[in-house]
Amino acid sequence: MAERNTSFNIILYNSVAVIIGLLISTGLLAFMKINPFDIVARTLSKIFADKYNIGEIFVKATPLIFTSLAFAFTYKANLFNIGAQGQFYAGSIAAVSLSLLLGGRVPRVLLILIVFITSALAGALVGGCIGIAKAKRNANEFLVSMMSTYIVNAVMDYLLRTALQETKAEYMQTDAIVPQSYLSIIIPGTRVHSGFIIAVLAAIAVWIILDKTILGFRIRAVGMNKHAAELGGINTKLIFVISFLIAGGLAGMAGVTEINGVQHMLLRNFNSSIGSFGIGIAILANANPIGCIFASILFGFLNVIGTTMGRLPGTAIPASLVELIEGIVMTCVIIATALRVYMGGKAEKQRMKEGGEA
Amino acid sequence: MERTPIVELRHISKYFAKVVANKDVSLKVFPGEVLALLGENGAGKSTIMKILYGLYKHDDGEILIHSKKADIRSPMDAKKSGIAMVQQHFSLVSTHTGTENIILGNTKGYIPISAYNSKIQKLANEYGFDVPVDVKIEKLAVGQQQKIEILKALYLNVNILILDEPTAVLTPQESETLMAFIKSYVKKGNSVIFITHKLKEVMEVASRVVVMRNGIVVGERQREELEEHDLAKLMIGEEIVAPVRDSSNRWEKLPTILEVDNISLHDSKNTPILTDISFNIHASEIYGIAGVSGNGQDELCDVLCGLKKPDRGKIYFKDKDITDSSILEHNLSGLGYVPLDRLRDAIIPGMTLSENMLLKNSFSGKWSNKGFIKKIELNNYTSDMIEKHRIKATGPADLSGGLSGGNQQKLVLGREVDIGTSLLIFNQPTRGLDMGAVDRIHHVMMEEKERGKAILLISTEITELFEMCDVISVMYRGKILGEYRNGELNTDNLGLLMAGIRPEGL
Repeated sequence: MAERNTSFNIILYNSVAVIIGLLISTGLLAFMKINPFDIVARTLSKIFADKYNIGEIFVKATPLIFTSLAFAFTYKANLFNIGAQGQFYAGSIAAVSLSLLLGGRVPRVLLILIVFITSALAGALVGGCIGIAKAKRNANEFLVSMMSTYIVNAVMDYLLRTALQETKAEYMQTDAIVPQSYLSIIIPGTRVHSGFIIAVLAAIAVWIILDKTILGFRIRAVGMNKHAAELGGINTKLIFVISFLIAGGLAGMAGVTEINGVQHMLLRNFNSSIGSFGIGIAILANANPIGCIFASILFGFLNVIGTTMGRLPGTAIPASLVELIEGIVMTCVIIATALRVYMGGKAEKQRMKEGGEA
Repeated sequence: MERTPIVELRHISKYFAKVVANKDVSLKVFPGEVLALLGENGAGKSTIMKILYGLYKHDDGEILIHSKKADIRSPMDAKKSGIAMVQQHFSLVSTHTGTENIILGNTKGYIPISAYNSKIQKLANEYGFDVPVDVKIEKLAVGQQQKIEILKALYLNVNILILDEPTAVLTPQESETLMAFIKSYVKKGNSVIFITHKLKEVMEVASRVVVMRNGIVVGERQREELEEHDLAKLMIGEEIVAPVRDSSNRWEKLPTILEVDNISLHDSKNTPILTDISFNIHASEIYGIAGVSGNGQDELCDVLCGLKKPDRGKIYFKDKDITDSSILEHNLSGLGYVPLDRLRDAIIPGMTLSENMLLKNSFSGKWSNKGFIKKIELNNYTSDMIEKHRIKATGPADLSGGLSGGNQQKLVLGREVDIGTSLLIFNQPTRGLDMGAVDRIHHVMMEEKERGKAILLISTEITELFEMCDVISVMYRGKILGEYRNGELNTDNLGLLMAGIRPEGL
């Protein structure tokens, strides 16, 4: 009963926070002598008038689901995986290499399966290294994971300049992969691809692992009380490595959805902020895997609002407005979280004052 | 006899986020008396005193000092009104000397330290405190630190001294000195509020007793009407029957379950923590290790449960060498362990009761099927456990962090008794628990002994050791000072041994 109340409160507080955040950020448009109400109305009507634009919300949400899960998963073991960006790049490298190599030569379903597995492994490799550094040397996983992104980024740049560079050898990007290696479009007339369904399934799988299995139980136990878990016979170091392997694998799969679903090639510095947004989304979702789906869709929506506003004819709204909106909404959510905890304590106190019984 | 109280609390209530700490508490303190505030843990004794001392803000009610309404917002205000409190956990800077701690916050600019030293040493001598004030706190024994803490109050010339469970950390001899001080202090017209859950202390020193239970005052007794049985009943709300020890020494003929052979342990700085510890425990034997906290008992437990490996020596469990076995192997071989710090080492407060039952069983396959948790079976087991040990919870889905300390301990007890099919290790299992929970734990220990389990009981409570153990040894600075049959020692001798002194004739 109390638990249901809490999740209801989380949704209530977060929704109000998002609305306030949107009001504040669009309100800032008034400083540019632009009528915010008018702009918001025009933006929303533009988005909802077009199936393609609605579809974009889910296209943007797909990789965010993976990167937010990558943060949420290790968070349950009280570890901080700040390196989802690097794990995502590792997955992207694997996805593009295999698609270039095997595209058109093996059946599409088989190819996609292989690509998903190898990309997950590539992400897991990067994640696993962080986990091992933490387990063996007690390295600070926060720093190691953060720095690992730079390493993967450098490796990617190197590959884009050498082995993977396009045949024209002009830009730092790969050749386009062949259409036989694309993820199939699930809603005609949009860019929504089957990667979205896989992302949702991944979130459900993460929820099952964490909530229903012994492994998930051990991960949560280590996260909540390392000492007690250790005395319970759990090998905490092994849990560190496993958590990072799985988290890395999740982030790596975002590489497939982006390469085979959207970009169809690997570019330098592409999607450079989905790692950090994954962190914010996971926090917004209270590290709940199912919550990550909805929070990612919300951020996909914010993203589409921002880009659509920037493209409205006859206005001079800067494209950077997207980031402003996302930042302000995030801040509001964090304030709401603090407020919710405070109000919860206060309500409890009041209830007891009236209840009287000790 | 109408006297004017120097402090009066009227209808004080205090609510914390999850609990009512105090509800409509009223009490008076008169000059020249020792008021004992008696109650179980969680009865609200400390809270009401922390309100008086300005550490907590009360939600309802008022405080009167010298019949005038007082607004005490901080310990600073309290001290100005002549009230000081010695907390259960001392608030001393361990790298400073006694004098420096005492003048801390009451001095500024240039400090003539030697003048202060002699002034404070004089004050200490005045009250018969045998403590050097120019030595760093970290070099002092716990009993001496407490004296510094009391001197801090005396230095401010307060006339009401609140002592929160002052004897918890003391040896019996140190307690006696403290009691003598209290008596002499109140003779000068000062008052002491003595918070405790120990009846013996109340009987010895109190001029008046206020008994609290569940945040409210349940009774008040004058010195002349004090009666131990009556107080216990007031405090707990029900009668308690202590378990009877089977003193037939049946265990002597039974096989040895645990054999500790000459183990030693050093810390990272190469200081010895344990030195040549040897003892045996038979089936159906309760082996007690007495000692003041911090003499190596916790490290001994770490070694026995597999968390730390000894530098030297061997441990045999059921004739098998387990010195180098992992914690998991220990758990699976039938060794149950109730650690000292349950919130840190035994339970996960953020998890449900059933998840806590699973904590030590996630490898035994008891509640898992192909890697999935068998939730229904686990919940049924937990419900049985709640009923069996009378754990106050609504069901297996409650968070263990929401339970009281006693109920958490009963939860741990239930789990470990099932895991420990041959040996149970208890490290101060009753510390800080209410008498109801203590009683339950003692009964369970006796039952398990009857079932043939070997039991190691590490304790600082002399009465508990005499009540439960077949054999008692004393640990002092990482060494075993001697091993005695229950009956060979009396309280005084055991107290001396705990202080590291071997009494004559032993």
